[in-house]
Amino acid sequence: MGHQNRPGGSTLEDATWSSQRPVTSRTDIFPKLVSLQRSLNARGFAAFRVAGASLPHKRRLDAEYENWSSGLSSGRDAFVAAYGDTLLGHIEASTLPLMWCADDESSFIEASDFTPFTTQVDARLLPYSGIAFPVRLGAVGNGYIVFPTAGGADLPGELVLSVHSRCYQVMTDILSLDERKAMTSETLSEREIACLQLAGDGRISEEIAERLGLSVHTVNAYLGSATIKLDSVNRIQAIAKAIRLGYIT
Amino acid sequence: MRSPARAEPLQGSSSREILIHKLAAPGQSGDLAHCLRMLTEYLGASNYLLARYDLVQEDGLDFVVASDWPFDLVRRLDSELATTYSQSTELEKCMSVLQPKYNLLPDDVHVLDGISRQYCSITLNVGRTRLALMLLFPQDHVLAADRLREVGLLIGYVVGLSVSKGQKSDRDFELTERELECLFWIAEGKTSDEIATILGISRNTINNYITSVMRKTATKTRSEAIAYAVRNNLV
Repeated sequence: MGHQNRPGGSTLEDATWSSQRPVTSRTDIFPKLVSLQRSLNARGFAAFRVAGASLPHKRRLDAEYENWSSGLSSGRDAFVAAYGDTLLGHIEASTLPLMWCADDESSFIEASDFTPFTTQVDARLLPYSGIAFPVRLGAVGNGYIVFPTAGGADLPGELVLSVHSRCYQVMTDILSLDERKAMTSETLSEREIACLQLAGDGRISEEIAERLGLSVHTVNAYLGSATIKLDSVNRIQAIAKAIRLGYIT
Repeated sequence: MRSPARAEPLQGSSSREILIHKLAAPGQSGDLAHCLRMLTEYLGASNYLLARYDLVQEDGLDFVVASDWPFDLVRRLDSELATTYSQSTELEKCMSVLQPKYNLLPDDVHVLDGISRQYCSITLNVGRTRLALMLLFPQDHVLAADRLREVGLLIGYVVGLSVSKGQKSDRDFELTERELECLFWIAEGKTSDEIATILGISRNTINNYITSVMRKTATKTRSEAIAYAVRNNLV
């Protein structure tokens, strides 16, 4: 593996990133991913979100933005089949970038000046190499931005770090787009929020009624209407959603 | 706000290379304090405090992971942090990961000469652990935003390295996989009967799991138990 192909350069195209304009549509996300692809000299990209909450065997990776087809012999599904479980396990404990090497000797990826801050996963599962950047924002907005690469690459540590930092920004942008959609539904009234908050604090309807000076029936009605507005089947699901959406704490 | 790295690109990039190089050994061995010291210097800041942001609401100073802040200041900031933590929603917390924020220290605290009364904080996640790095810095010094983000990432790397070697995170210590599974389905609006069908176990077993969750989390109703689970990022 004597030949080392350094990617284009460690500076990112700042023009794509400098504008402070908030993202308003999916078309604002793609140029950012393309600029990262270019700076890594990669052959494509895919942004995955972890779906299925916290249950280990229910979790999966959903691709939300991708440019994976061009010239890659096996599709994105093959990537998920090969490395999906590794990626899902990894993000539960670590944010280190993951790299994988192809089954073809001439294609490899490493970051020799960035050990130990990258992890090499099982090699030779796919016909191309690549790097996956984990992004962990919290209850929502967890996933990976993945770049398949060509030939041999020894990525400078600085580049890995700055691309990873940009990956966080992209995931935050994706999340903010989602929320814009969610916010358009009917908003909760002050009373409904108060009832949900108290219910989440462990109060039963009778106690909530006493606290707010209402009848039990009214409290139940508020909780019922809140449940409908939050597109939930019962008050427990409504409370869970209300916390996630920030209506109550 | 212009970053020093932009003003002198050559010097800026080489200092980052040097930093990465120097960080490798202590990073690998999990010497968190050493790494934090180096990263603090890299930013031109003066003192670091790395906190378990998800633990600030509990009593005591257990939330401090590593710090070289004056002790009085840490103690004074305790309640302050708990308030900011509880006032922001989960979504706001997610959206603000790796985004530097500035706050003022309480008026009644004494700070060392030449140190700004502002402090900078940046949050990051490693697995389900939410951390905040808080920095004191000299007056008139501007911390570069892109450097701060990279430092946040590097801290995440180092913490990840030290955690994966040692113990598992201590938040879900008490709940079993089955109990978490039940909580998950309840939060999705399923009834005990439905969960029994999904998991292929009896309704009574499900109810036992839930009772046990409520006992362990010291909650009185199902609703409160779910609220606890959502707040603590368990489902």
